[in-house]
Amino acid sequence: MGRHSRILAAIGLSLALVTGPALAQQSGGTLVQVTVPEPPNLASYLSTSGPIGQVAAKVYEGLIDVGDGLTLKPSLAESWTVSEDGKTITFKLREGVTWHDGKPFTSADVQYGIMNVLREVHPRGGATLKVIEAVETPDDYTAVFKLSEPAPYLMISLNGYESPIVAKHLFEGTDPRENPTANAPVGTGPFKFVEWQKGQFVRLDKNENYWQEGKPYLDRVVVRFIADASTRTAAIENGEVHFGAFGAIPNIDVPRLGEMPEIDVTTKGYEYVAPIMQLQFNVTKAPFDNPLVRKAIATALDRQFVIDNIWFGFGKPATGPIHSAFEPSGIFTTDGVESFEVDDRIAKANAMLDEAGLPRDADGIRFRMIHDLTPYGEEWRRFGEYVKQVLAELGIAAELRYEDVATWLKRVYTDYDYEMSSNWLYGLPDPVLGVHRQYHSNQIRPGTVFVNGTKWSSPETDALMDAASVENDPKKRAELYHDFQRQIVDASPIIFMHELEFTTVHSANLKNAVMGPLGVYHSFADAYFEQ
Amino acid sequence: MTDLTEQLPEGEAPNLRARALGFWRLFARNRPAVLGLAILIGVIVLAAIAPIIYPDNPFSLAGRPMSPPFGEWIFGTDTLGRDVMAGIAHGARTSLMIGLVATVVAVVFGTLMGALAGYYGGWIDDLLMRITEVFQTIPSFVFAILLVAIMSPSIQSIIIAIAVVSWPALARLVRGEFLSMKNREFVQASVVMGVPDWKIILIQILPNCLSPVIVAGSLLVATAILIESGLSFLGLGDPNVMSWGFQVGAGRTVLRRAWWICTFPGVAILLTVLAINLVGEGLNDALNPRLRERKG
Repeated sequence: MGRHSRILAAIGLSLALVTGPALAQQSGGTLVQVTVPEPPNLASYLSTSGPIGQVAAKVYEGLIDVGDGLTLKPSLAESWTVSEDGKTITFKLREGVTWHDGKPFTSADVQYGIMNVLREVHPRGGATLKVIEAVETPDDYTAVFKLSEPAPYLMISLNGYESPIVAKHLFEGTDPRENPTANAPVGTGPFKFVEWQKGQFVRLDKNENYWQEGKPYLDRVVVRFIADASTRTAAIENGEVHFGAFGAIPNIDVPRLGEMPEIDVTTKGYEYVAPIMQLQFNVTKAPFDNPLVRKAIATALDRQFVIDNIWFGFGKPATGPIHSAFEPSGIFTTDGVESFEVDDRIAKANAMLDEAGLPRDADGIRFRMIHDLTPYGEEWRRFGEYVKQVLAELGIAAELRYEDVATWLKRVYTDYDYEMSSNWLYGLPDPVLGVHRQYHSNQIRPGTVFVNGTKWSSPETDALMDAASVENDPKKRAELYHDFQRQIVDASPIIFMHELEFTTVHSANLKNAVMGPLGVYHSFADAYFEQ
Repeated sequence: MTDLTEQLPEGEAPNLRARALGFWRLFARNRPAVLGLAILIGVIVLAAIAPIIYPDNPFSLAGRPMSPPFGEWIFGTDTLGRDVMAGIAHGARTSLMIGLVATVVAVVFGTLMGALAGYYGGWIDDLLMRITEVFQTIPSFVFAILLVAIMSPSIQSIIIAIAVVSWPALARLVRGEFLSMKNREFVQASVVMGVPDWKIILIQILPNCLSPVIVAGSLLVATAILIESGLSFLGLGDPNVMSWGFQVGAGRTVLRRAWWICTFPGVAILLTVLAINLVGEGLNDALNPRLRERKG
């Protein structure tokens, strides 16, 4: 046996390894996904609403895809290069891609989709894409983005959920808000839209001309809309439905379903949205203008107790303004960030309040306050009740206030007529998109929701955020954010409770259902049923 | 003037003690009513001594979450480790208080509307009854939800909401009684004697139609407790006040894992509402003895 045969054998073995799993992927089958509530339309270029994304992400694609650890993967763009100054990005587009109506996909679609649709009408697009001054199209398969300043957060937002590329020939000369594709999307994705029976289901069929050879494996995806939670649970229990994400199956039922051999449960696939549950203060109201008071409350609260007993074990204690999903990119840190995980919580917190100059009166009460509850349902009320009891141990007499969503949003983000409120926000795949909005002084915008509602800001953190949003060197950028996390937690205008975990429940024989951080906001190109 | 004697039940001396005894005898003939009264007294006692046996705030985290019943805590603890029995004891205060206050408000307002409409008739009757109908056409529980949602959940808003949805039935009842009474001789005699309208309404007619109002009112207490429980169950209760409906709502999601959290408060609601209904039935028998004799 010569050297050559050994090499050949090695090649053969590695080929077997490469093709091995692929052979196991069987084609065929209909996947039934349950989505709540039914989306108003399927125009993901118009709205970031979850249910829309859950359906539209199967039809539309973006220039890039998001891989594990929030990394960039090629999609409609095969490759890209960023210029030295960070202000020019050249995309090499994939050839041979066609729209579901048979027309070829070219750089003209990218130019029109970005500049005339997403930049104009997408709710986040106005902010994230505003740095794009022009998209040049030297040929059919090259798109050159000209930016006004470096934008390290831009690339990841060009995925199919956040920035779906739409067909120029269907949009040109029309108002994107009125385009008929809102109810019958035409994309380049693995599944093409067939019909929508309002109130019942959306049917998507396999795109036979999909650019990824051999994919998708499934013949059809049906998205059903079932309003009642227990009916959804029953439907997945008896195999009528194969896939449900984002609380489609109530958390309380999840542990029981997870024990069934024919059902799998995962908390993966939500790294893209990176939600953090928080308690926020209006720092202009005494005594919450004193960081010591805010930190005393942060110390007193037992995060693990809240996760275990109120959120049914789904969650992970948060350590700061940035979600731990950013750990692979190096942005997340706990190094030098003050931790509130201590053993004798109540004693420490009481000592801090004494130090803050808030003595107890004859009734043992330091001060009275109103705690506003996030009006999103049961867990939030339980959390408020828990907080109230802990505050009572600190000598703080809290009254709970539970209002409807509109009143609460106005109270927190328009009138700032609150002292402390629970809340939760998406971290989104880059701090510029999801984190800056809560801390930057230019984000104190009365009337705009889910921005800076604490009225807290500091010139130092403003400067860090400004620098990080144009810093293209990942290492330097990570350092800026490390500093940012230390300073924010040191001031604690917000108490970081825990990283909310959503669950995806799916049939055990459905494989590759959750691929990467986008989870349900990703296509089912790789999903298949194991026979 | 002979008509005046008609106000007194026949064959009874106008002696208060004897009347009370007679009333009790009539009431006690209805055995379930006595049982209901016993349960109700038990609930009232529980409400009265709640701050003594459970001096701590019922929301306080007493121990390990979801401890089963009949151990350290007689009815176990809920998802946050709150003592379920302490919640039931303090919830009894809330339920009874809301039931009574809301009923008093509804009875006073309903009686006033019904009395005016029934006594004066004509356009006043038309106007008041059309207003009543507007309230009656809206499903009462949905209306209560709407009112509480608009006013923000608090004890006051819940009482107002229950009273607002409860008075129309009483107004109808009182109006009917007044219609049948106002043409009776003793009323007409008063009119001829120049007695002012308000005196006729308050002194002549109202006492004669009190028995159905008392019966309806007692049943209204039960309905009020149920509405309050329903509102709390849906998360529209006062978040600062412990109530049975709140406990059931808070335990509902873990029914499969911790049955005791909503079972015991649920039983408390059941028993109390049942007791009040039985007592109401007994009152009906005692106040309308002839009705019962006809039935029996």
